[in-house]
Amino acid sequence: MSQKYGNLKKKPLGRMIVYGMLSAGLYVALLLNQGTITALFTRGAWYATLPIATAFAISFIHGGFTGYFWSVLGVEATKKAVRTRTEEKKPVYDRERPQPQPRLRARL
Amino acid sequence: MQNIPFEAANFIDLNYMNVLYLFVVGFIGGLVSGFIGSGGAFVLTPGMMSLGVPGLVAVASNMCHKFPKALVGAIKRAKYGQVDVKLGIIFGVFAEAGVFYGAHIQEKIKAAFGDAGSNLYVSVAFVVVLAVVGGFVLRDAVKTYRSGNADAEEKVSKLARWVQSISIPGTMIYFKSLNAKVSVLFLIPLGFATGMLAATIAVGGFIGVPSMIYVLGAPSLMGSATELVVAFVMGLGGSFKFALHGLVDIRLAGIILAGSLFGIQLGAIGTTYVKPFMIKLVMGVIMVIVLFSRALMVPVYLSQLGLIQTLTDSTVKILKDTSFAIMAFALLTGAFIVLRAMWQGRKAERALTEKEVLENA
Repeated sequence: MSQKYGNLKKKPLGRMIVYGMLSAGLYVALLLNQGTITALFTRGAWYATLPIATAFAISFIHGGFTGYFWSVLGVEATKKAVRTRTEEKKPVYDRERPQPQPRLRARL
Repeated sequence: MQNIPFEAANFIDLNYMNVLYLFVVGFIGGLVSGFIGSGGAFVLTPGMMSLGVPGLVAVASNMCHKFPKALVGAIKRAKYGQVDVKLGIIFGVFAEAGVFYGAHIQEKIKAAFGDAGSNLYVSVAFVVVLAVVGGFVLRDAVKTYRSGNADAEEKVSKLARWVQSISIPGTMIYFKSLNAKVSVLFLIPLGFATGMLAATIAVGGFIGVPSMIYVLGAPSLMGSATELVVAFVMGLGGSFKFALHGLVDIRLAGIILAGSLFGIQLGAIGTTYVKPFMIKLVMGVIMVIVLFSRALMVPVYLSQLGLIQTLTDSTVKILKDTSFAIMAFALLTGAFIVLRAMWQGRKAERALTEKEVLENA
């Protein structure tokens, strides 16, 4: 029971709600003002940055929401994937290591 | 280019059905892209055009939805250690050059042979590339499955071993996905071809991912994940170019993104549950099915160019509808395989966890 409670506690429900509301707000603003936005965003020249910036904003806000959404539903990557992340192979460089040289320690 | 603003002004009115349609297609496209690194875009452009969106606006809006989607997917898969950012960025820069050159070729063909000539060029590119690369990828996936070595670590191809063995002073770069140094001179033609294909059929990944796997020697998971970085670099540059001409309909891009960001997260999660050959299988299956879809359109364009007997309007309509239906079927089949593989992977992991708990108890 305590394990189940622990799992529930870990789920980012609060963050999902915050990002979900921000995302909904963004889409409502976009669709309610579509006439003005379309006219402004299609002027070309420097106005070209507006659709690009909006696309970035959607990817950050809505992307955050969708990520938390699947986490809350319990759809997450297998633990093996997280383990693989920490067990990445070390690069093999073709440098030569100094070899230990035999030394003569004999006394005359 | 002067008539473009007029075309851009013809942005469609959105109703609930249009929004729902774009959302669903975006979700399925995102799911496949999250899994194989690309592949969702080819249905979206004709899908938007079927709603009455002008061709250039559909291409521009598709591209503007592609780069934020690829960004989210790349970040997600980077968390699983599957992304080689350095390879993705270098590959992406050469791909960007390919996109601009591919678009230039398209313009030349359109100016010389009109819309039908341009469409024929696109369809022939689809058929040739998908037949050669798709056939090879699918054959390799089936071979791996039949060999019973699906669980074994992927072998680096002979070609990739040769590429990795060539040392050209001053051009060698270490890539973590390859765990080897490769000359950047090999990346130029591969990236360029990826970009050219993206400018021609909207899916550069059909060359990008197989070339990273078979020519450079990246594992399937890393190749498909790194392709998302390439798609981001290509999509950002292309979107800005289209936005400069006022062609991006941000409403369409935004609605597709609403669905595709759900899909891409799910597709990325799915990659952690499956065996590497599944990436090749999904990619190969989609490529081969899409090949038939485009092959059906070749007679239509040949007839429009007067190279074969003129087809009746009803025949053209049947061929167009069938072609679109096959394309949608390809995407749905890919999505089905991804979801099924993910479901089975989750089920197997749950069974293993339960077994471990019982053993510990």
